[in-house]
Amino acid sequence: MKDLVIKGKWIKRELVLLAVIFLLAVIINIIGIVKHDTRWIEMLSQMHVVLILTLLVYALIWLVRLIIFVVMLPFRKKSNK
Amino acid sequence: MTYKQSRRIFLQKTALLTGGLFLGYHFPDIRALANDQDNVADTVRLGIIGTGSRGQYLMTHINLIPGIEIVAVCDNYKPNLDKGVEMTGGKAEAFTDFRNLLEKNDIDGIIIATPLHLHAVMSIDSLKSGLHVFCEKAMAKTPGECLAMYNAQLETGKILLIGHQRMFNPRYLKAFEMINRGQLGNITQVRAYWHRNNDWRREVPEPSLERKINWRLYWDYSEGLMTELGSHQIQVANFIKKDFPRRVTGTGSINYWHDGREVFDNVNLVYEYPDGSSLIYDSMISNAHYGYEEQIMGPKGTMELEAGRIYSENPPPAPGILQLLNNIEHKIFDPLPLGGKSWIPETAVQDKGEYIYEVDLEDDGTALEMEGFAQMIRENRHSDILLREAYYASIAAVLGNEAIKKGEMITFPEEYIL
Repeated sequence: MKDLVIKGKWIKRELVLLAVIFLLAVIINIIGIVKHDTRWIEMLSQMHVVLILTLLVYALIWLVRLIIFVVMLPFRKKSNK
Repeated sequence: MTYKQSRRIFLQKTALLTGGLFLGYHFPDIRALANDQDNVADTVRLGIIGTGSRGQYLMTHINLIPGIEIVAVCDNYKPNLDKGVEMTGGKAEAFTDFRNLLEKNDIDGIIIATPLHLHAVMSIDSLKSGLHVFCEKAMAKTPGECLAMYNAQLETGKILLIGHQRMFNPRYLKAFEMINRGQLGNITQVRAYWHRNNDWRREVPEPSLERKINWRLYWDYSEGLMTELGSHQIQVANFIKKDFPRRVTGTGSINYWHDGREVFDNVNLVYEYPDGSSLIYDSMISNAHYGYEEQIMGPKGTMELEAGRIYSENPPPAPGILQLLNNIEHKIFDPLPLGGKSWIPETAVQDKGEYIYEVDLEDDGTALEMEGFAQMIRENRHSDILLREAYYASIAAVLGNEAIKKGEMITFPEEYIL
């Protein structure tokens, strides 16, 4: 069986991606508070929504990447040959 | 949660309530419970008249409470009497005639859980024998009997407590306090209902016992749904309104259980209070979908006391992020309108509200009520507020039936206003 090697570069890239998505979710929370004139305490009290949103978007990006990977797989094999 | 745990939380919570202005006039005597249950000085010795289903229910609760001993039981139906003795571990003395029980000189108080038509005579005889009395609701079968019981209490000075356990239910007490603080505004309407889907019959071993066992179904012994169920909810409405209804009208019939019964299997009534607000009440035993509820409505909000929730007329907005995501979702998935909305359906508000009381207690108030009765006996302190509540609720329940039978608007008779 072939060993699966996870490189430090890959981990770093995924963590940066997760952080960017989290930041975007926080910005969405701020936009929601400003636009709907609700309380700033929601920056903390709605953190669970922000985290869920972050994970959902991250999972969605993973799904898109997986689909692209699967679609590109035959072409990749050809080019390897 | 055990009764002991529930009780501890109840006392902690109600300690906060008792400091409020609400105690001034309209607050049940929960002070009766403010003793240390583990160090009860005097054991209260009780006799129980009527050990049928309700009597047994009360005994189950009493058995949870330290400092109360059931020393005598009375029933003229042998299976119930035997069960009553059994529930005391065989310790209680058995009687088949309540008058013999009243002659026992080592009893502090009496619990009456007999058919409605016997409440007045048994309560009055017990009071006049120098005993404190807890009598199940409704108070009595006629306004005259209710008044006679009230007067017997005044005459003897003994405790007379009627079994409206919601007055000892922490959730209700909390709700009463919130309403009194004006959280709903002036109460303009109370809507209450109690729906079941069963024939209300008990199994009868032989036909000659039909009326004895199924006494709830016959006018000679019972006032049907109004006194068995309705009196509880009328009492709640009265307590919230701090008044009693002066007029009642309505309809009722037997529209499903055509099985020889006499009392209505459905009742639909409107009670009117002096300030023009109303209690809309209905009860039926052919559909249980909506169960039972008391809905208290004012300009600022609504309470559902059985569900234990309060709903504001202006609920706080959803968090900004949820509103934003919701708007995005609607923009993507909703169909495009061809024109502006000219009509918006006025369907019920979907707000889930908030809990009135966050602690889920096992007891519906019955055990706390029994404990309260025992403590009132120890302190020899009668609660006129609770008796008046029971008095007006019971008479209003009976007048509801009168309105149905006569097909008229019935006014609360002047001679029964205390």
